[in-house]
Amino acid sequence: MKLEIANISKSFPGIKALNNVNLNLKQNSVHGLIGENGAGKSTLVKILCGVYQPEEGKIKINQKEVNLYNPKESLRFGISAIHQESVMFDELTVMENIFIGNHIIKKINFIDWNQMAQKSDEVLATLETNIKSSDIVKNLSVAQRHIVQISRSLVQDADIVIMDEPTAALSQTEIKELYKIITNLQKQNKSIIFISHKLDEILEICDEFTVLRDGEVVSTDLISKTSKSELISNMVGRQINQIFPKKKVEIGNEIFVAENLFKKTQFKDISFNLKHKEILGFYGLIGSGRTEIMKTIFGINKFDSGKLFFNDQHIHIKKPLDAISQGIVYLSEERQNLGLTGTMSVKDNLNLAMLEKNSNYMIVDELKNLTTAQKYKDKLNIKVSYWNQLAQNLSGGNQQKTVIGKWLATEPKIIILDEPTKGIDVGSKSAVHEFMGELVNEGMSIIMISAELPEIMGMCDRVAVVYKGLIKRILDVSKTSSEEILSYASGE
Amino acid sequence: MNNIPLTPPKNILNIFYKKEFILFLVLILLIIFNSQISPYFLDLYNLIDSTFLFSEKAIIALSMTFVIIARQIDLSVASIIAVSSCVLGYTTSIGLPTFYVISLTLLSGGVCGAFNGFIITRYAIPSIIVTIGTMSLFRGLAYSFLEDQYYNKFPDIVVKLGSDYLFGYIPYAFLTFIILTLCFAFVLHKTIIGKRIFAIGNNPDAAKYTGINVDKYTFVLFTMNGIFSALASIFLSGRLSSVRPNIAFGWELQIITMVVLGGVYIYGGSGSILGVFISIIILGMLSFGLGLLNVPGVGIIIFTGLLLIISIGLPSFIKYFRNQNE
Amino acid sequence: MLLKFIKNRDFILFTIIFVILVAVGISNPNFVTLKSISDVLTDTSILIILALSQMIVILIRAIDLSVASNLALSGMLISLLSQIYPDLPLIFFILLSCGIGTVLGLFNGFVIAVLKVPFIVTTLGTLSIYRGLIYFVSDGKQVYSHEFSDSFLSFIHVKFLSMTSLFWFAVCVFIIIYILLNYTKFGRNLYALGGNPEAAKYIGINENRYIIAAYALSGFFAGLCGYLWVARYSVASTQIAIGFELTVISACVVGGISVMGGLGTVIGCLLGALLIGLIRNALPAIDISQFWQLAISGAIILIAIIINTKTEQRREKNIMTEKD
Repeated sequence: MKLEIANISKSFPGIKALNNVNLNLKQNSVHGLIGENGAGKSTLVKILCGVYQPEEGKIKINQKEVNLYNPKESLRFGISAIHQESVMFDELTVMENIFIGNHIIKKINFIDWNQMAQKSDEVLATLETNIKSSDIVKNLSVAQRHIVQISRSLVQDADIVIMDEPTAALSQTEIKELYKIITNLQKQNKSIIFISHKLDEILEICDEFTVLRDGEVVSTDLISKTSKSELISNMVGRQINQIFPKKKVEIGNEIFVAENLFKKTQFKDISFNLKHKEILGFYGLIGSGRTEIMKTIFGINKFDSGKLFFNDQHIHIKKPLDAISQGIVYLSEERQNLGLTGTMSVKDNLNLAMLEKNSNYMIVDELKNLTTAQKYKDKLNIKVSYWNQLAQNLSGGNQQKTVIGKWLATEPKIIILDEPTKGIDVGSKSAVHEFMGELVNEGMSIIMISAELPEIMGMCDRVAVVYKGLIKRILDVSKTSSEEILSYASGE
Repeated sequence: MNNIPLTPPKNILNIFYKKEFILFLVLILLIIFNSQISPYFLDLYNLIDSTFLFSEKAIIALSMTFVIIARQIDLSVASIIAVSSCVLGYTTSIGLPTFYVISLTLLSGGVCGAFNGFIITRYAIPSIIVTIGTMSLFRGLAYSFLEDQYYNKFPDIVVKLGSDYLFGYIPYAFLTFIILTLCFAFVLHKTIIGKRIFAIGNNPDAAKYTGINVDKYTFVLFTMNGIFSALASIFLSGRLSSVRPNIAFGWELQIITMVVLGGVYIYGGSGSILGVFISIIILGMLSFGLGLLNVPGVGIIIFTGLLLIISIGLPSFIKYFRNQNE
Repeated sequence: MLLKFIKNRDFILFTIIFVILVAVGISNPNFVTLKSISDVLTDTSILIILALSQMIVILIRAIDLSVASNLALSGMLISLLSQIYPDLPLIFFILLSCGIGTVLGLFNGFVIAVLKVPFIVTTLGTLSIYRGLIYFVSDGKQVYSHEFSDSFLSFIHVKFLSMTSLFWFAVCVFIIIYILLNYTKFGRNLYALGGNPEAAKYIGINENRYIIAAYALSGFFAGLCGYLWVARYSVASTQIAIGFELTVISACVVGGISVMGGLGTVIGCLLGALLIGLIRNALPAIDISQFWQLAISGAIILIAIIINTKTEQRREKNIMTEKD
């Protein structure tokens, strides 16, 4: 047994992230770690990397108990991780990123650049990539950055490699390459923890698996002994068709049209329409450009050419305020960073987009503020004890609700949701979906960016599939399949 | 549908944690201490006269509070004073009517501030760096204009404003400061302008995504800072009645100290005018008291520097020791 | 390709320096004599040393505004000491000055890293505290040239290979910092820490240690310059180097050191300091009054920053190539 995780528990204020978790990683094996967002996977990874310390439990490597009290220690024991959010230094070269924290030294503590360049070239060659050691990381694509991370793990001579959602931004071909690399690593006596929510990948590449749900291990076994549907029901704990409440809504006429939107190096030929009470999905791999398109429609960025129409009228959106006054709002994926002003009160956050409407000649009307805040607190069931509570002190889910509440207060006609259920605990996910159904029932139309096929299939009426800045197809969800959508999204 | 309260359950103890209350306590202690040290301290006339030394800085501190809450900083204010006092002196010397003298002075401050605002927003450069540059540029312009000369003739009203009293009791400068304090407090805490400034300072990206025009607000705040610096220079020139290019040297540090000591977070997003007001009074009384003890001006400067660091560092210091003991 | 461009940036600076030399030389041929250039280099040496050490701090997204006050205080302390014990060996004074500077720098580092007081507030505070302390230790009085021992003052004027030892001090510091930032783990980690502080934590870089080290180094070199300044100008007073920190920071900015951290080359910093130093000396040479110095410096800083920013702009990640 290469790595034994025994009875690990970890809590944060208000949440028990991990509860008595056990996991055994065999030498040379690829062990799949599966779970919904919020199941505890990334907490476990952080503990293995020495960033968090568990409250209870033991970790054993090669049968000896270890104490991973900081990242350096974890590296020392041969644990290396490839994260979703790349741990990259944009202004430095590929070579430096590979060797960061781990430079090759000559005698008097001086860095040996020659050796480093050599080794770096070697490792890049084994990965069969066209990246050069001297490339500056900020110019690389997402897939290429992944390769740099993998190179880093290789030179660190890590025995245990943790891959956290490594295929999230890769095309089908690039994924096949990654499988080859993983097999290679196994041959080199490495043991791998492979985290992914794409069950097909887990079934293909892993030898064993562990399923986490709400911080606890639900099942663990050999891959050969399970099936996809069993994995799903373990992950989710309920039948599939309960997750996406079917809603029946009469879809009306076209209310919004985007015509030939173009922005150099970002997207091209973007044309689509949105119908009244429709949920239009935008599916694509990370880095395909969906967010950039929506940010431009919302007025954060400008496009180089193209037209927008609202109710058949040509509209000009040069800044967010223009979009908001047309009734188009955008809920960013980075809810905390781009949606919440943490040190302002919950009341103020809820009113932030309504300041002018809830004022008299620029003076804040406290009564109107309270009314608005109360209305949306109730509607969204936001847990807050008093109005002046700082927004940053709410739980993640409640923060999300506050941001939604802020936008709903403007009574929009079109809501653009960017990955609305990313990072949300399983219980709240279906609540969000139900809520979306209510919104369209009340007359709103939704554009939803999502990277989760089940969500797209379950919630959307139509889906625009995006690949590298182009809309490949707009499909009717009832007439297509996951496989078809996935193949368009991968460039085929 | 339960209605929740505005604030946490009324607990008398909560008030002790508010920054403004702590500042107020410090002020009371200071007054008591000073009055024990010198019999001249509690003299009303002395106290009133002591306000002359800080009123001009205080006016700028109010405007600077908005700038800092918006997550910016302006190191060029003292240099803007230099430029506007030059304009003041020059326009007087060429015989322009008083109305034009004052308007042009204020305008010059506004132009300097707008220049800051323009560079910061147009090129997205951190304000600390831009204002380090304009700090030299503006004062440099004053030097190249005046060389080693000085102005000592100003319109009567300017002299009156700078050194005279309303009804014989209240210095015009201090009175202006009080009135402005009320105005700024109202705008910051009761209007949507204030809410937006807090939002910008707390999270400029979120503010932008909410439809707030961050660039416009930034530009206006810096322009305003320039205008209020020019206003302060009017009072200052009237008081000093002699203006050289090195006027107000080092004032930016003292003004920022007034703001930060008042509980405004240097990285923006929180603070109150009340806190800044109390801190201005504290610093004023401190200088006054130390002056009565014949501590030289430089001692006051050292003290102010230490006070600044301690006031922010003390909470962390206590936490540090507590952690060591665990 | 981008690597070439960065090299180009230093090349641009070099060209500007060359152009200015030529332009001034045409108007005032005395300016481009060997002696005159050697004087300019000597005059700029202190600025070069301070700019290079300030670069270390700017790389980790901070600034040290207290360097000038640090310099003045260290210089004053050793001057006062030399009044009392003039016969102590020179090396002692130099090391002591460096030591005092380091202690002052460590104080900054401690307050910023441990007490978590933001660097703006801290260094603005120590800027005045250190400057004020000069008054206290000296009672406001100056130490004049005749009160120093000969060895104290003359050493920096001693020439090796026809350049003053002050210049060679700058050369040594340049070599040390070049090696530090390009050939040691510490140096490369500074770039990492400044470029992506969150990620640096995952790599195991202890942010606090690096902050304290950076400010200690900045203080060390400020202390060294304390001796150099006093020896060069043969006077120690409360007024020396007032406002010089701004010149130092502008040299760094002109040299391409980004205030966002993690970006900038040692050679660029050197060229930035040379450029600023050149301009300071060139203005009197073409009869521009000293009163214009400040304004011109300010204008140059602003222009340099704007140019920097336009070239640095973080480009949005390309989703499709230009050809698509």
